Amino acid sequence: MKIAAVEPWVEAPLKRYVDDARARLALLLHPNGQVLAQAGFTREVDVMTACALASAIHATAGELGRQVEGRAFGGLHYAGPEKQMYLAPLQTSRGAYICFTVFDDETSLGLIRIYFEELGRDLAAAALEAPPVSASVLAGGFEAELNRNLSALFRPRDRWEGRGGSQ
Amino acid sequence: MSASLRPVLETLTRQRGVRASLIVSESDGLVIDSSLRFGQDGERVAALAASVYRKARLSAKAARLGAVTFLQLDAERGRICVAGAGNDLVIVTVADVAANVGLIRMELFKALELIA
Repeated sequence: MKIAAVEPWVEAPLKRYVDDARARLALLLHPNGQVLAQAGFTREVDVMTACALASAIHATAGELGRQVEGRAFGGLHYAGPEKQMYLAPLQTSRGAYICFTVFDDETSLGLIRIYFEELGRDLAAAALEAPPVSASVLAGGFEAELNRNLSALFRPRDRWEGRGGSQ
Repeated sequence: MSASLRPVLETLTRQRGVRASLIVSESDGLVIDSSLRFGQDGERVAALAASVYRKARLSAKAARLGAVTFLQLDAERGRICVAGAGNDLVIVTVADVAANVGLIRMELFKALELIA
């Protein structure tokens, strides 16, 4: 399994989530689509595109929810023939995040939802203990910040960990 | 659907030592209906028990043993019994150690006939 995180405090909770829930892939991102961490079989998708699309879906579903029942919808689940996705928001003291999870018949939506709740609790606890953020993600040095994040996420093999060794 | 399933579950939960009974979708691990006594986390039990049952069913199939009819998991402070209807529905019961498993098994099979 590959795991990479822009901010180290999200790494352990996300790894535990993917391991326990037996998810194939989990991406943690800001609601604006900026990727914060990735775990699992991340080569199966173009991470940046997946984050942008997940962010757009989340925004759309949120707005639809507000139109339909006056508040944003929570989690979103889509079941394909072989793979399924679960997209839901998480709230921490550092702000809101979105987690995009891809899973197959190794696990189930019920298990994903259970461990997603645990991920929310773990991230909320980790956020309180993590060192303060040096600058806003959308501050003036956005391009430099983006490049730093990309190089952290896509740096070569030194962050790879073994689980099945299929990547 | 829930209205017709509720009596099935209540009959099961009335058995001595039974703490909870749930009808669960095996494929997605979600609760369809449940009858829980105080203190049971139905969603968690449902998802995990359905997952165990599914893996047992696949193991039996891989070993060419045929369909799984009944699964019993004994733990330190109780047991979980699961039976599948063959239509993606499984019935899960959580019981005390001292509960009569034979009776629970019989009631589970009766319940399966009703929901099949």
